[in-house]
Amino acid sequence: MDAAAPRLVPAVDDRDTGGFWEAARRHQLVVRMCDRCRAVLHMPRAYCHLCGSWQGHWEPASGRGRLYSWTTVEHQVHPAYPVPYTVVLVELEDHPQVRLLGHLPGAPVLAAGHPMQVWFEDLEGVSIPQWEPV
Amino acid sequence: MALDEAFSHRDRCAIVGIGSTDFSRDSGRSELTLATQAALAAIDDAGLVPADIDGIVRCDMDAVRPNDLAEVLGLPDLTYWGEVGPGGTAPSAMVGQAMAAILTGQATTVLVFRALNGRSGRRFGLAGPEAATAAAGGYGTYDEFFLPYGLLTPGQAFAVMAQRHMLEYGTNEKDLGHVALTCRARAAANPAAQMHGRPLTMDDYLAARMISRPLRLFDFCLETDGACAVVVTSAARARDGRRPPVLIRAVAQGSVPSPQPGLQYPVLMRKSITELPARAVARTLYRRAGLGPDDIDVAQIYDCFTITVLIQLEDYGFCAKGEGGAFVSSGAIDLGGPLPINTGGGHMSEGYIHGMNHIVEGVRQIRGDSTSQVAGADVCLVTSTPLPPGSALILTAA
Repeated sequence: MDAAAPRLVPAVDDRDTGGFWEAARRHQLVVRMCDRCRAVLHMPRAYCHLCGSWQGHWEPASGRGRLYSWTTVEHQVHPAYPVPYTVVLVELEDHPQVRLLGHLPGAPVLAAGHPMQVWFEDLEGVSIPQWEPV
Repeated sequence: MALDEAFSHRDRCAIVGIGSTDFSRDSGRSELTLATQAALAAIDDAGLVPADIDGIVRCDMDAVRPNDLAEVLGLPDLTYWGEVGPGGTAPSAMVGQAMAAILTGQATTVLVFRALNGRSGRRFGLAGPEAATAAAGGYGTYDEFFLPYGLLTPGQAFAVMAQRHMLEYGTNEKDLGHVALTCRARAAANPAAQMHGRPLTMDDYLAARMISRPLRLFDFCLETDGACAVVVTSAARARDGRRPPVLIRAVAQGSVPSPQPGLQYPVLMRKSITELPARAVARTLYRRAGLGPDDIDVAQIYDCFTITVLIQLEDYGFCAKGEGGAFVSSGAIDLGGPLPINTGGGHMSEGYIHGMNHIVEGVRQIRGDSTSQVAGADVCLVTSTPLPPGSALILTAA
């Protein structure tokens, strides 16, 4: 993605999701977890409706996942995202109820369930988790 | 007894007027002008005058506010206004809100409208304003988990859902193509449709360029400048109208357990991405209507993308889960099939008025006025069920 326009980076100051990006800056993949019942709260939020707890933490995840679905974008809609590229939807191996996105250049041949491994892409002032086929 | 049985709205309100502007790529006029023209047409169709309107319901994404229309139409006494959203989930629920106002004595005659310059103005097919700043998302939008990866439009998100539907159920590209071809065939009979006179074959469909694999150009709805409006009043008042009233048999809104937050992209985190809130909407709607899928003569199915139609046909019970592809490829949704859909051409080929033209076409079917009239159509389903929640209604002859 070496386009002229700057890539979009995630806002990292949201009070409910900032911890995810703080961990990503340290190249650590985390999920939001309830302290009391250990339910995974995804998308991240403060309150666990399963047990009523407001106490949560960022739980490290293995960084391994499986390919759940994807799309190869061939019609460009943003100057910083030249086509073709592929957006992957990955479910985490250790928290299968959690899915995260990744960006692969081009139009790779993919298969559902394929093992995926996280890596961290360093952007301007922030790092974002990305996924590559194992 | 369910609450909706104790306070049943069944057949207690009616749509008495419908109005539309032309549908185009460049209207050359403001959204307020479009809304005004559609409103005047609907009010006239009802045999009313603007002063009879005392309520207005808008869509949350509309540029036009109730007081804008009240000013331009010269409404002397607006006693009720409301708003439903997000976006395309609104139209059926907007009619429901109009009914709620009428049945609780807050208004007697409510104008429900949607106006947009969807092609010459803000285009849904391009990355939106949320992708215009370097730091994307935050502020409770959850977009920071999506936009940086290049997931930038609704069509790209639905493509991920379509891919999953293909993986889980073996749905194929020609199944999706049948939805596009069916809508296009209905547009051929509708001179007001943007794709009137533009036939589409399966070869054309398959040869069209990929937009976001597996979705091609004709899996996407149009982007349209235009407006539609309807007038809702009580069934009792409706009897005095210019046209035979079209009864609103039932309305429903619905969501799913763990719907996920945000405007649209977090739905990819739901337990299933091959099911829409349409399933919950259908359950409530059929109960309130005392009807089921077998009773539906014709349907206007929200068709922002072909896959959206296919999933809803499953969710509304017209075929089993996963069999939407085989269902549409069997010709079931064609004129003469058991469930003709999108008889004006739908969002795919008539125009994209964000679900509102589906209500207008539903009224035409019950009146017997459609350009692709289904013989003896007494019951029409209209859905407003993309993401993230949804709504729908059933229209019947009086």
